[in-house]
Amino acid sequence: MVEDNAILYTIEGIAAGILLITTAYLIISTTTIYTPGDTHISDMQMEQLGYDVLAVMDTPRLDGENSPLETYIETNNETGFRVEFLNLVKSNSQNWPENIKFKAVVYYRNQSSAIKIGNYTFSHYGNTTGSEHLVMVTRRVLITNMTTIYSLDLGPENRNQSVLLEVLMWRD
Amino acid sequence: MARLMNEDGQWIVLMGFIISIMIFFLAIIVNQSVLVGQTTAESVLDFPKSDIQDLRSEVFSSRLLPGDITGITEDIKTLSLRRKSAVVDISNTSGTLTINYNNGVTSYHETIQL
Repeated sequence: MVEDNAILYTIEGIAAGILLITTAYLIISTTTIYTPGDTHISDMQMEQLGYDVLAVMDTPRLDGENSPLETYIETNNETGFRVEFLNLVKSNSQNWPENIKFKAVVYYRNQSSAIKIGNYTFSHYGNTTGSEHLVMVTRRVLITNMTTIYSLDLGPENRNQSVLLEVLMWRD
Repeated sequence: MARLMNEDGQWIVLMGFIISIMIFFLAIIVNQSVLVGQTTAESVLDFPKSDIQDLRSEVFSSRLLPGDITGITEDIKTLSLRRKSAVVDISNTSGTLTINYNNGVTSYHETIQL
């Protein structure tokens, strides 16, 4: 005859087993979610850094002056922009080597063209291989003197205008 | 069950159950807390803070320029639509400046009495 003495222990064992497996599943699934969140956070930090650097560059040093960023675009000073941008992006209190590369493109509106907008490459540092985490930051720049750009025939019309500077940044 | 030889261990078994159920609920709480962080980070990413600050700064500084600024307003609208996928409207009528911004996720409206 089969004895039922141990039936309580069997039920207990099954219940404990289910509890253990469910708890282990919950804990393991918790840690796996962290990974996609982490990449977002470092991208977000670089995006904020880029926006801040462009905002600093687009602030006049003295009342009544043009901002350095406006002057760089107006005179098509590719080197000046690159040096100041990299300098500000890499400034940290510890002098850690930061390896940030970028490509800056100016977008403008064309009144007479049917395509309406155009662009030209303003400045760049480094080339992408396609595997980097690219971050796009932008800044609208008010240009009050288009003569140089117009005479260089880069595309924009000769009038006061608001252009959009798009900077693609990545860590190498 | 009366035939069990010794029932002294019942309390220990019960305590074991209570503790394991507590651990189970704590695990659920830890699991949920990560979702909260994820949702917060995503909503921060979605919010176009820098875009709105940039738009306002451009609208205000363009107002200080002498002469007609219709062209500049049109530049801002076109570039927002084509490059930033945001619908922007700026109007200045009878001493009231309004800025409307909508990128499909966030809409921002501002009215300033000049």
